[in-house]
Amino acid sequence: MNVFSDLVERLRTLLHRDREDRELDEELRFHVEMDAAQYRRAGASDTDAHRSSILALGGVERVKEEVRDARGTRLLADCLSDFSYAVRALRRNPGFAAVGILTLAVGIGGTTAVFSAVDAVLLKPLPYQEPGQLVRLYESYGKHFPEDGRGFVTPVYFLEYRSRVSSFAATAAILTYNESGADIGSGADVQRIRLLAVSADYFDVIRVHPATGRAFNRDEETGAHVVILSHALWQRQFRGDPAVIGRALTMSGVPHTVAGVMPDGFTDPIAGVVDAWVPADLTPGKDPGETSDHYISVVARLRPQIPIVRAQAELDVLDAMLTKQYSVTAGAKRSRLFPLKEDIVGGSSRALEIMLGAVVLVLVLVCVNMASLLLVRGTERAREFALRSALGAERRRLVRQMLIESLTLAIAGDVAGLIVARVAMSAIVTLGSGSIPRLATLTLNPRLLLFSLAIASLSAIAFGLSPALRAARTEPSDVLRENSRSATGGVAQLRLRDWLVVSQVALAFVLLVGAGLLIASFERLRSIDLGVKPGEAFVFEIHLPTARYDSTKRAQFFETFATQLATLGGVRATGAVSRLPATGAYHQWWVTALSGPLANTKDSGNDAEQRIVSGNYFMAAGIPLLEGRLFDAYDDASAPDRVLVSKSFAKRFFPGVPAVGQRLHTGDDRRPASEVIGVVGDVAIDAEGKPDIYVYHAHAQYAADRNWALTQLVRVNGSIDRAESDARRVLRALDPELVMFKPMTLADAIGRGEAQRVFTLRLLVSFALVALAVAALGLFGVLSYGVRLRAREFGIRMALGAEAGAIQWMVLRRGIAVAAMGTALGLVGTLALSRMMATMVFHVSPLDPVVLIEATVFMMVVAGIASYLPARRATIVDVREALQ
Amino acid sequence: MTDDRVELLQGTLEMLALKVLALEPMHGWGIAQRIQAMSKEVFVVPQGSLYPALIRMKRRGWVKTAWRITENNRRARYYELTAAGHRRLEAERSTWQRASSAVNWIMNATLAVGGKT
Repeated sequence: MNVFSDLVERLRTLLHRDREDRELDEELRFHVEMDAAQYRRAGASDTDAHRSSILALGGVERVKEEVRDARGTRLLADCLSDFSYAVRALRRNPGFAAVGILTLAVGIGGTTAVFSAVDAVLLKPLPYQEPGQLVRLYESYGKHFPEDGRGFVTPVYFLEYRSRVSSFAATAAILTYNESGADIGSGADVQRIRLLAVSADYFDVIRVHPATGRAFNRDEETGAHVVILSHALWQRQFRGDPAVIGRALTMSGVPHTVAGVMPDGFTDPIAGVVDAWVPADLTPGKDPGETSDHYISVVARLRPQIPIVRAQAELDVLDAMLTKQYSVTAGAKRSRLFPLKEDIVGGSSRALEIMLGAVVLVLVLVCVNMASLLLVRGTERAREFALRSALGAERRRLVRQMLIESLTLAIAGDVAGLIVARVAMSAIVTLGSGSIPRLATLTLNPRLLLFSLAIASLSAIAFGLSPALRAARTEPSDVLRENSRSATGGVAQLRLRDWLVVSQVALAFVLLVGAGLLIASFERLRSIDLGVKPGEAFVFEIHLPTARYDSTKRAQFFETFATQLATLGGVRATGAVSRLPATGAYHQWWVTALSGPLANTKDSGNDAEQRIVSGNYFMAAGIPLLEGRLFDAYDDASAPDRVLVSKSFAKRFFPGVPAVGQRLHTGDDRRPASEVIGVVGDVAIDAEGKPDIYVYHAHAQYAADRNWALTQLVRVNGSIDRAESDARRVLRALDPELVMFKPMTLADAIGRGEAQRVFTLRLLVSFALVALAVAALGLFGVLSYGVRLRAREFGIRMALGAEAGAIQWMVLRRGIAVAAMGTALGLVGTLALSRMMATMVFHVSPLDPVVLIEATVFMMVVAGIASYLPARRATIVDVREALQ
Repeated sequence: MTDDRVELLQGTLEMLALKVLALEPMHGWGIAQRIQAMSKEVFVVPQGSLYPALIRMKRRGWVKTAWRITENNRRARYYELTAAGHRRLEAERSTWQRASSAVNWIMNATLAVGGKT
């Protein structure tokens, strides 16, 4: 038998059902007439002949039924009519349909979007071959860095690792300490591109090689002027010319030979989007501080079958040898390996885990809501089912119809859920870009989609079916009898629905507390004094090409630029700094006090953050001068080395004595001693306000140290936009080939660390609100239903003279009791989850009483509103109608 | 009508209808008449079961249908055997022959055949 032709035949029959039925009629009519004619020929009367032939056939209708069964389309046809009945039933009750579909949409959409984000960031492997073999290597020192610190590596040690660690198949150095770039093009077309300096083995480590041309070789690890282009830059700058290899690309005034082009879609594991790669300069002896300057990121690939612990053991042995060999003074050196993915994802995993928890709560809430919604509806329809059952409808048929109704609802909800998922995903990408790594790889994961579709649909079907099963069990006569309680499900069933609502309120309460804690944390964070005034200021970077600007010109340029900007109307102060406050640790040097009470004691030294400033930086940033003076035009390369220190630094290094006039030493031994000329206010090291100690150097005295990419800071009086375009004009007049890079407000620039927190906050708050809405709908639904059930009772009470207020209170009381019960349960849940929340909050206890009280009040107010509406309905029952 | 008629053997209606149609295309009533006539009026064709059986045969691709005009100038649905129907008939025929001779062997057997008393 041909299964396919069978199916086609069935479908064809189904589609032409009416015609098939007509033809069957005609065929049977023909049969009966032929048969009757035969009986007549045998001598029977017309009536007898007709009756006999019908008898022989066994009844026309019975044959028709049997033929319909034989067609094999019966089930399909019945399902179709059930489906259209279901659609009609849903349209008759649009409120129920809307709430059901909305609930499913939120459950499916939210779950899928957040699951996909978690999948993209945490679960999906890195897009490189054998990603499990990739590790990141960090260094830490007994004294300088905490034991579990993740410090950068010095050039010398990198070379040692590369040649001596046999567990590594390949070892690469990546220079990510400073974000480096270059200007290409000229005039109005000048643009800044992102450069990444890497060692020759980099491409072997990640196992992605240039699609055209070649990788770097070790001879080029001298900062050779060769470049590998990204696919995008190749398209943009060379229009995808395949003959690009060997041609020159001038970057910041220096011609570089193009060695290769990376494949399309390649992104760097650590730096992300990069326009071009250049060889790192690892020449031994090039960097005088090569055993003490930590600025290299090391990524390595383990040999196959070598577990990370074995590589770590090998490194531990090597560390002991290297500590002796280089007589490391900073304490015992320790190198540590981390799987690369864990290292990249790092801190954002906690935020995503919280999100996942929230989404699971919402999904449970959605299922519970579907359950109570369908239970209510099922009870409402018990009468209808009883009636149909009494009229002879088969139990199987009723169950199937209920199943199809639930399925129809589930499918509508699924479609809406897909739409919500799409919208939510693009919202997540927008919210989280820049603060959550790997989020750009977010795609709608079909497996996850199927999972949430299945969960939500199954809950709809399971709970939709139970009323039908119950209806099939109950005696129709019981239900149909006026006054009967069995139609309304009785007390036990009401209790079940109450408990469902209690659990909804509890779940919503937990989310509400979570959101409240994050909001409180965020407010504390916002109100923290970072030591700078973020308002009314903007920042941007200027990169001076070394080819055209030597150290003198660089010093001159920044001072001139600051002076010219300051003369503009609307600009109050302008200056520049090597790294903005509250944006993380950056440039740490060992500092020793040469004078004061600690000089020549074991406490004379400490690590301190170093910053290079130019122009009127302190006034522009809003950092007050507390003692002494600021840098002036005379503090240049020809003057003795002078520094400013922060208040906490002064307290740490020169306790009990005035800091101004004291002497200290920063950096390695070749640097001269410096004189402290002033003390300025403290600034925080990160957005959470963690304090640190700072030493400030004048750029005019430090321009020769390296080509500092200073961040310009302009404090304005009024419009930031106007000042920005003015600054752009001044810059163009000074040098038309310079780019005003990454302009943004100071608040945005130093708020970067908060981005992840804002992301979590917004998502969790939306989830909490959704949960609250779902719980309120649940409460509202159950109470309204209760009111409808008791309409008669209320009518009688009112007829007997009960006050409207008393009846309202009866309904309200029940709603509030359910909500209070849920809140109490939610409090227990909050206690249980407080450990998890503790890692997310900032300066707030996970059981903060204010947050808990606010959440409780909020919950009860919402519950009050959700209960009041049905309570009002209870008193506008028409007495006469209710009693009829 | 006489009382020595018997019901069709279980499951043979389709095979018999196939055989009738193998001779020439025929409408439902005609098939019933032919079976009756060809069985020398021994079999009573359960007419109510005939039409569902024809539909099932059509679904399986053994017969196809067409509306034609009868000798008496009436419109009737004719069933016609397809190639698959012919193959099916041959298969049914050989199964039937094996089964019927097996039944005959049993019915004609005597105790002497290997039996123990």
